[in-house]
Amino acid sequence: MAVDITLLFRASVKTVKTRNKALGVAVGGGVDGSRDELFRRSPRPKGDFSSRAREVISHIGKLRDFLLEHRKDYINAYSHVMSEYGRMTDTERDQIDQDAQTFMRTCSEAIQQLRTQAHKEIHSQQVKEHRSVVLDFIEDYLKRVCKLYSEQRAIRVKRVVDKKRLSKLEPEPNTKTRESMSSEKGSQHPSQESEEKPATEEYPEKVPAESQPELGTWGEGKGDDELSPEEIQMFEQENQRLIGEMNSLFDEVRQIEGRVVEISRLQEIFTEKVLQQEAEIDSIHQLVVGATENIKEGNEDIRELPCLR
Amino acid sequence: MAAATAASIRERQTVALKRMLNFNVPHVKNSTGEPVWKVLIYDRFGQDIISPLLSVKELRDMGITLHLLLHSDRDPIPDVPAVYFVMPTEENIDRMCQDLRNQLYESYYLNFISAISRSKLEDIANAALAASAVTQVAKVFDQYLNFITLEDDMFVLCNQNKELVSYRAINRPDITDTEMETVMDTIVDSLFCFFVTLGAVPIIRCSRGTAAEMVAVKLDKKLRENLRDARNSLFTGDTLGAGQFSFQRPLLVLVDRNIDLATPLHHTWTYQALVHDVLDFHLNRVNLEESSGVENSPAGARPKRKNKKSYDLTPVDKFWQKHKGSPFPEVAESVQQELESYRAQEDEVKRLKSIMGLEGEDEGAISMLSDNTAKLTSAVSSLPELLEKKRLIDLHTNVATAVLEHIKARKLDVYFEYEEKIMSKTTLDKSLLDIISDPDAGTPEDKMRLFLIYYISAQQAPSEADLEQYKKALTDAGCNLNPLQYIKQWKAFAKMASAPASYGNTTTKPMGLLSRVMNTGSQFVMEGVKNLVLKQQNLPVTRILDNLMEMKSNPETDDYRYFDPKMLRGNDSSVPRNKNPFQEAIVFVVGGGNYIEYQNLVDYIKGKQGKHILYGCSELFNATQFIKQLSQLGQK
Repeated sequence: MAVDITLLFRASVKTVKTRNKALGVAVGGGVDGSRDELFRRSPRPKGDFSSRAREVISHIGKLRDFLLEHRKDYINAYSHVMSEYGRMTDTERDQIDQDAQTFMRTCSEAIQQLRTQAHKEIHSQQVKEHRSVVLDFIEDYLKRVCKLYSEQRAIRVKRVVDKKRLSKLEPEPNTKTRESMSSEKGSQHPSQESEEKPATEEYPEKVPAESQPELGTWGEGKGDDELSPEEIQMFEQENQRLIGEMNSLFDEVRQIEGRVVEISRLQEIFTEKVLQQEAEIDSIHQLVVGATENIKEGNEDIRELPCLR
Repeated sequence: MAAATAASIRERQTVALKRMLNFNVPHVKNSTGEPVWKVLIYDRFGQDIISPLLSVKELRDMGITLHLLLHSDRDPIPDVPAVYFVMPTEENIDRMCQDLRNQLYESYYLNFISAISRSKLEDIANAALAASAVTQVAKVFDQYLNFITLEDDMFVLCNQNKELVSYRAINRPDITDTEMETVMDTIVDSLFCFFVTLGAVPIIRCSRGTAAEMVAVKLDKKLRENLRDARNSLFTGDTLGAGQFSFQRPLLVLVDRNIDLATPLHHTWTYQALVHDVLDFHLNRVNLEESSGVENSPAGARPKRKNKKSYDLTPVDKFWQKHKGSPFPEVAESVQQELESYRAQEDEVKRLKSIMGLEGEDEGAISMLSDNTAKLTSAVSSLPELLEKKRLIDLHTNVATAVLEHIKARKLDVYFEYEEKIMSKTTLDKSLLDIISDPDAGTPEDKMRLFLIYYISAQQAPSEADLEQYKKALTDAGCNLNPLQYIKQWKAFAKMASAPASYGNTTTKPMGLLSRVMNTGSQFVMEGVKNLVLKQQNLPVTRILDNLMEMKSNPETDDYRYFDPKMLRGNDSSVPRNKNPFQEAIVFVVGGGNYIEYQNLVDYIKGKQGKHILYGCSELFNATQFIKQLSQLGQK
């Protein structure tokens, strides 16, 4: 267990002070050492680098706070069924996305700038190393905060993709017109209402429920006879088939969801790797160019040799 | 669940270090926390303590941008806090005062490895005042971390000044009282720090009339003083946390190296002990010299370039943790197995490449593809793991190959078997003289070790004529006879003190020259190397521990002294108050220890449920280093 002896230290300072006073030794160039200390501290060069670094950090902190504040609303998918308070329209979400992106870009530019500047002025190896590590820390912090943003954006994108998939459901080509109209109508429901599972499970049930009254109206509208038992049976069969189809579509959608998430994860990884390799490829490029030059010059030198004789 | 004091010593020390690096505030991981940066300044003692516990990457994670030695040229870095971790010696204090005067850093967090004295604290205060830097000194702490933890359950006292506390230093005949006091004080200081970090007050047992007894007396006194001082006690309940203690206190067994001189000389057969014996291994880092390739160079003789490689054998290295106590043939087999399983995984990843070529062809392929997307993701995410596995396999292949070369060149398996036989007093099939005179088997040092073990374990000393014969054979083989001088003296002295330790029964069964390893055509061609199997035996130290821990009555340990720093009355008695067997024990060897003893203790405690042992020694040496010390002692 470590023991905090800071108080002991301060007590020693007092002891030494009083002892020095008693011995008449000057303390810190003035009688009142503490005042002198304050005085002396101000002309200390406040590291330009570190103040700017701290600025960048506070900016990133603001971004983080902003994202965390609105995170709940952003992710909230029930926004259109819940009360006013939790609602966030898509335009607002887009706005947040854009703002966040510009912010992140400016931050990373600021970090780059700091990096180039930091190495210009200083000659000491240790200070250079220290600064580059500090910048690495700041970049890492930015990355972590960006992860917050990209996570919530991924969720949002996934939802949009889901919506699009569901609304693109194609009507069955071989059903009677009534069925096709009703299935179209049925497919409208999920895009308008929430895309949550209870809803999707609901609507297969709704469709048969709704198709009946509709059929009723259609039936009346078209002036057909009352439905014969065979027709009812047929319609019921159709309904069952539709239910089955909707379920399989639903499964497909789930699969696609999973794939999209995985693909996005893979893309993240690949982007990272590609970015890493970019730096290396640049340096390899430099080396190769340098090597070509050297070889060219070497060849010229060799060609000149016979002339010297 | 094992008792709370078994939260391994390594974890405790690491946690203490991390807290120190976090400006002496407990460290909490926060994924969206702002970065803080700092500079770490240490002396060589601090470096030895930190390096087995924290890697450079972990230091970075704690926000350390630079780590520098105290006594190096350091440039002023404005606006950055500095964390110091040093011993409170004169030189270090002077240098710190110099730093304060030169205004190198923004703020200073001073941490002393062991407690600093009041006068030195005032020196720093003085310098701070003179430099008007008093407010810059943010915190000052005594860390009580003056020991080096190498394993979860093993520690040594120091690496830097080990000559001060070496076997030789303690046992040389010309030592003065004051020097002895200094040595003892150093040892006691470290042990005290150890118990503060462990958070427990032990019950101490030690043998009489040895250096261990001196250490015990001083340690008891120091613990007692600290406990009495209610205000500053380091062992108060709240610092330790509720439920930290098991209901029992641990047992500290202090033994002196002199009870068993054969074990440090012994040739060994387990992986970690072998690496320590044959290769350059300390503070969990092994340094290998590899000769790179034997190509025939066209331009004539070019000397083989030797690459120096060093590897860290860390707790994250799963293979090491599993096999560091295994007999060597087993290790070779396991490396082979790991290599094969790694190759299988690699092939699977490569197979995905061909499957990916079917992308987007037709409906049938797409359903196959969705499965493969998952495979691809898992492959990509498992790539770092695979690479790490490959690195470890390479590491251990190199290390094991190096060890194997030594074994083959020096016929270490023969020595091992023979020594086991000597130490267990089974009949010897080959005469000692034969082995010594055999020019192929082993270096002169190996032969010396063998002979010394024989000499030490013999019930009666060999006759003069025999001795002369042996001496002549040894000198012919190129050995230096100084260690023998010392051992003779030691033996004479030990005879007076007590019966020499016996080593128990053991057999080594050679499992035949052909092992499965050879059959699978592996790189580890163990041709001609016996596949020996270690039977469990108890070395003297383990036996002593067993007696004391299980409260067994045994003439060897019955008259050990008993100290309990928590008891009010100061005098010791030989009658232990506590009649129950102990659950936790710490064995500390004054005068030096090695991995063979450590492994023996680990094997011993494996069989016992719920019991825990820690092993410590004042220094860690391998046989080469020990022989050197013996030879220096024998020269006088």
